[in-house]
Amino acid sequence: MKGFVKRFSRELEVVAALAVIMIVFGMIQPIYFSPSNLLDILDQSVINGLLAIGMTLVIITGGIDLTVGSTLAIVIVSVGNFTVMGLRPLPAVLAGVAIGFVLGLVNGVLVAKMRLQPFVATLGMMSVYRGVAYLITGGWPVLNIPQTFRDLMDGDVVGSLSSSMILFLAVTAVAYILLKHTKFGTYLYAIGSNEEATRLSGVNVDKNKILAYAVCGVTVALAAMVMLAKLGTGEPAAGASYETNAIAAAAIGGTSLAGGKGSIVGTFLGAILLQALKVGLVVCGVDTFWQYIATGLIIVFAVYVDVIQGKLAAMRLNKKAKA
Amino acid sequence: MKKNRLWAVMAAVVMTAGMMTGCTEPAATAESGAEGAAAEAFNPDKEAGVSIEELREQLGAVPKVDGEIKLGAVAKSFDNEYWRTLREGYGEYQTKAAEAGYSITIDVTSAQGENDEQGQLSIVQDMINKKYTGLLLSPISDGNLTPGVEDAKKEGIPVINVNDGLIANADSFVGPKADQNGELAAEWIAEKLEGKGQVAIVIGMPKAFAARQRTEGFENWMAANAPDIEIVAKQNADWDRQKSKDLVDKWIKQYPELKAIFCNNDAMALGVVEAVKAAGKDILVVGVDGIGEAYDSIRKGELDATIDSFPLYKAQIAGEVMLRKLGGQEIPRVLWTPQALIDAENVDKPAAEIIGWTDPVYEQ
Repeated sequence: MKGFVKRFSRELEVVAALAVIMIVFGMIQPIYFSPSNLLDILDQSVINGLLAIGMTLVIITGGIDLTVGSTLAIVIVSVGNFTVMGLRPLPAVLAGVAIGFVLGLVNGVLVAKMRLQPFVATLGMMSVYRGVAYLITGGWPVLNIPQTFRDLMDGDVVGSLSSSMILFLAVTAVAYILLKHTKFGTYLYAIGSNEEATRLSGVNVDKNKILAYAVCGVTVALAAMVMLAKLGTGEPAAGASYETNAIAAAAIGGTSLAGGKGSIVGTFLGAILLQALKVGLVVCGVDTFWQYIATGLIIVFAVYVDVIQGKLAAMRLNKKAKA
Repeated sequence: MKKNRLWAVMAAVVMTAGMMTGCTEPAATAESGAEGAAAEAFNPDKEAGVSIEELREQLGAVPKVDGEIKLGAVAKSFDNEYWRTLREGYGEYQTKAAEAGYSITIDVTSAQGENDEQGQLSIVQDMINKKYTGLLLSPISDGNLTPGVEDAKKEGIPVINVNDGLIANADSFVGPKADQNGELAAEWIAEKLEGKGQVAIVIGMPKAFAARQRTEGFENWMAANAPDIEIVAKQNADWDRQKSKDLVDKWIKQYPELKAIFCNNDAMALGVVEAVKAAGKDILVVGVDGIGEAYDSIRKGELDATIDSFPLYKAQIAGEVMLRKLGGQEIPRVLWTPQALIDAENVDKPAAEIIGWTDPVYEQ
């Protein structure tokens, strides 16, 4: 039990924060606790959650991926076109995943092989990818996405549990295993903590870094296709500034932007927490201007709790050393 | 010791900063005082604007303009269908004016996305350096083109502000009355609901002039004319389709009696349509802009209405007004361009017929 608490201390904190937020909103607006509302929170977390999971992998390596919104746009218009041209849903999804993988790969190569700073490299590619998305359609949205595709990516499967929610849970599980129980995951943490030492110990740093960006591209592609299914339309303007929310979810979940530290479960909860907050503010009819402030404060507070915790841990270590 | 030094440095910084602001502040206000005040006060919706029909009646035919006319039109961003249609309108006007005997070219460019304030200003300054005859500007923000407009004035180049953002120091504003489109939506919804029921508003971006005015127009009309209609919710969705769908998913559950939703633009309205469809509810959805997708959706019986401000004709009006100005006519500060509500009844009617469009009469 103690081991569990220790191992998941950050996650448990986010759960506690989530509980506080939900209780507060639930007390103000009882409708907040209705099953359909809770399900909505999960449903509406899917897109940002998928982006944030990819983002977490990249941030753990000490990088960042600002292209997620633009990558989403390319995938949404490309896959939209494929389905409208008559490609069946499953091949269309695979094509989307492949596109996401390749776009992520390009980011990874820029960062790992050409040694560009991740922030700057992906800042540039954010603009490039957005331009590509506009070029693909000439600025127009792709309309009338076939119902079969929409059912595959966002149809009801069991009761009110939709395929997109199941996808979100599945991706979370896979990413968790990838990070915690494979060499790839161990390498990502190692690269983020000390890239040089990792390299010297014989790990192929470049390859693993590139893969992290590519996997991020894949989760973004999945998010794009969920959005395409939800809206039935693929706009090249879709996803603008979505990277900020993805980073926020990761940060709330305890992922450090300095690299080397982060958790998928934390990110999953972070995405849920952000949406629980958003939905709560909406349900309670909080003024828009205050919504910006509330969301921002939660992010800052969450990260601050992390800092305090780090200090406390250091103090404890000190005491132990002295004793 | 170290701490003391730090304090000393900080004190010095604060003092210098204080001195600098102390020195520059009065000068800055003196320079921008008149303009700054005007920028805050200028709201075309509050001005006594005239319509294009009234203007034509007052001023008669479009006068002759000698020599080569080279107009520069700068839009916000061609990412957006609205601005692409406006570009088309300028192109059409160039052809029509050329047919009427003017030697005219209209160069249409846009900034690189709706956050490229500085880039848009560079385009304008380049046009001034190249001695364009007149400028038709649609600035990204209310302030980003102000320096360019000052330069244009020094060079004697007339400036017409087409649609929002607003340029306080432009010669004239040509565009739709933003609060009127909220009013048109309110009036239509009130009529369909027979004056009672719950409605909600999805706002664009709270910083945007158009979003504020559209929302205000809607609310004011309802308050004044339909006391039994209750606005139960209003929130912003940042012009984003997905965000607006998420928002309305919630509202539908929270307000089972919700009867109509007004959205500040069509993209958001189309997101709302998805939410309403998924919930299997019968809720009226009204958007603004009149984009092609909105027309299709109305034809399919999904979206209920949109307010179109006809950028294709707005551009032609802007061109005509510029020719009048170059020909020496006195142009009012604010000129309203037509807008109309499009629903299932008039969705297939040609726009020219809806707004009663006629081409102007030329002297030459």
